[in-house]
Amino acid sequence: MTPRILVVDDDQALAEMIGIVLRSEGFEPEFSADGTDAIDAFHSTKPDLVLLDVMLPGIDGIEVCKRLRAESGTPIIMLTAKGDTADVVAGLENGADDYVVKPFNPKELVARIRTRLRPTASDASVLHVGDLTVDVPGHEVRRGDAVIALTPLEFDLLRALAEKPNQVFTREMLLEQVWGYHYKADTRLVNVHVQRLRAKIEHDPDNPKIVTTVRGVGYRAGGA
Amino acid sequence: MPPRAQGTFGRVRRRLRRWVRRGWRAVAYLWQRSLMFRSVAISVATTGLAVAIIGTAVMISISNNVYAQRRDQIEAESARATIVAQGIFDAATATEDNNQSELETLQTEAQQAILSNTTSPGGTDIAIERSPDQSAPQTLQTIVSPGFPDEVITDELRQAVQRDTGKLSLQPVRLDDGGRKEPGLAVGSTLQIPNAGQYELYLVYELSDAQQTLDFVSQTLSIGGVGLMVLIALVTSLVVRLVVVPIRGAAETSRKIAAGRLDERIPVRGHDDIATLARSFNGMADAVSRQITQLAELSRVQQRFVSDVSHELRTPLTTIRLAGDVLYDSRHAFEPAVGRSAELLHAQIERFELLLADLLEISRYDAQAVQLDTEPVVPASLAADIVDEFRPLAERAGVDLQLVTPGGHTTMQLDAKRIRRILRNLVGNAVEHGEAKPVQVVVDSDARTVAIAVRDHGVGMPPEDAARVFDRFWRADPSRKRTIGGTGLGLAISLGDANLHGGRIDVWSRPGEGSTFVLTLPRTEQAQTATSAIPLPELDEPYDGPRAVREDS
Repeated sequence: MTPRILVVDDDQALAEMIGIVLRSEGFEPEFSADGTDAIDAFHSTKPDLVLLDVMLPGIDGIEVCKRLRAESGTPIIMLTAKGDTADVVAGLENGADDYVVKPFNPKELVARIRTRLRPTASDASVLHVGDLTVDVPGHEVRRGDAVIALTPLEFDLLRALAEKPNQVFTREMLLEQVWGYHYKADTRLVNVHVQRLRAKIEHDPDNPKIVTTVRGVGYRAGGA
Repeated sequence: MPPRAQGTFGRVRRRLRRWVRRGWRAVAYLWQRSLMFRSVAISVATTGLAVAIIGTAVMISISNNVYAQRRDQIEAESARATIVAQGIFDAATATEDNNQSELETLQTEAQQAILSNTTSPGGTDIAIERSPDQSAPQTLQTIVSPGFPDEVITDELRQAVQRDTGKLSLQPVRLDDGGRKEPGLAVGSTLQIPNAGQYELYLVYELSDAQQTLDFVSQTLSIGGVGLMVLIALVTSLVVRLVVVPIRGAAETSRKIAAGRLDERIPVRGHDDIATLARSFNGMADAVSRQITQLAELSRVQQRFVSDVSHELRTPLTTIRLAGDVLYDSRHAFEPAVGRSAELLHAQIERFELLLADLLEISRYDAQAVQLDTEPVVPASLAADIVDEFRPLAERAGVDLQLVTPGGHTTMQLDAKRIRRILRNLVGNAVEHGEAKPVQVVVDSDARTVAIAVRDHGVGMPPEDAARVFDRFWRADPSRKRTIGGTGLGLAISLGDANLHGGRIDVWSRPGEGSTFVLTLPRTEQAQTATSAIPLPELDEPYDGPRAVREDS
């Protein structure tokens, strides 16, 4: 089955060009030109991944991101023209999994998309971290009987940490393992998503016990 | 003097001299710094001088006057006393024959009369002495009142008395009053006593009462003078305060404005000169703050513009790039001319992209919209990363890339992204212009700075070119072939990145000897980079590389 990708961009030419690239790589693109329409298009097309421009007429990309994330864990990759502004952090904090800075090249874009769509292979089936149970084949995290809803990215992040409890992961290691970056990338990706993960799984997100920070190094799962 | 005592004395003298010097320095400091102190000091000094001159003049005039008055009085008294005494002797002579005992009675009588005629408050001493060289049938005993200061009657006075018989001779004298010298006046005259010849009458008047009056006057004058000076000091400080306090207020306000509080103004009271100053100052501050607001607005507009251009340019460029890449990927399917066009398009899009990125970076510096994103970084390892990164390129260019790190092994707060960008730029340039000769990267540190030097032994530049390498779009040699490619903004951006860290980049270059670039960063936020851990000489001086490399070779 060809993965379906929703491209939300108000620039017709760019959207069409992205469509050409995606089709040639074996994806099925769907298009939406503004923020309000994007939500409806998301419901009607049920995409496997969303490519979302930050600057949109109607509702802006950040708000679209927030609304999509409120109802679904579908991977969202932001397209941004400003690599170093608050836009990126705002997008990540509102649930975007990753971002691509314009101008990007086709290989970069496709690599980002593939990383987010790849099936997560793992030997382990059930992991335990703190008082949580991570069911890897079922893609589910439970505390007791209660299921905690995580996005695929958050799940991958928790799984990566939980597979090697007490090992300290640097942000670079996590960028490579979870986001598929093989070069120095933006460590804000890791920081923001660890915060989002903690908000969901920790009893007290300000005083985390499951995903702990190792000052000056990175993060690890399990008590300090 | 025993050496020990001498030592103590020397110590005391040294300490005293130190105090005096310290006191002088404090006064000199106040004189330079405080308008109030200076004004008060000047007015007190001039008042003091005036009071001294006037006081002296008044004292001289008063004392002359008092002395003259007393002298007249004493002269009149003495004349009267002489006449009375002479009268007593004459009357006695006219009535009876004088014998010795009678003469002595007369003498006592005369003495009583004289004393009753003199009324000097200071007291009078009397002496009647026989003039020398006389032959008379009878002689009178010399009478001298107890405590008569015989020593004050000088030979001069005696001679004057003997010469001018019938006249008074006056002489000012100093009287010894229990060790204290008091002013006095000695008066001499002659008495003609029948049968006994000529006698000299000396009267010595004490003037201590007049002196007391003068002392009192001078004391009063002194107290008055000092009082006046204190009053003048107070009045001056009050007046100066009236002027200085508003001036200090103005100074404080301008300091606040300079510190960025553009809304600060001086309160205006009344319509005097100070109020005028305050009004003009406030007017100036209004104008300046208006200008600054305008400039800030302009800068904000510029920033917005840059941001908009960024977005507006980047979206079409993304489309072009994607299209170019699609064409490039299938270039082999085209006929040769179209295929080559696709290649050129691809390469130039990349170049355009780099140029746009650099331009936007530069505009961000211009709009001061850049912030450091610091993290703990070890400069030596950062340099090692960059050297490793460039090794393949260096090998292709036949350049031996060496890393020497005698310093820079401690962690610093740096924006690693920017420092890497600087080093990539410097190392890239060195490899590109290194002419297949060794390139050295040296990291060193001292107490204040960490420095990273990149030295090549390639073509180098003449000094006038080296001075311009940080200019935007400036190229040393337009015909020079480029292997890495660049936008002409690399070093300008590097310098911006260095300045953002409070650091700097220096260059030394000479044609045929190569170039050395040194990035100097302060170790702490407070540290200065006036000096560098790897100092560079002036452009016109020779240089044989950083110390660490020299010692190695």
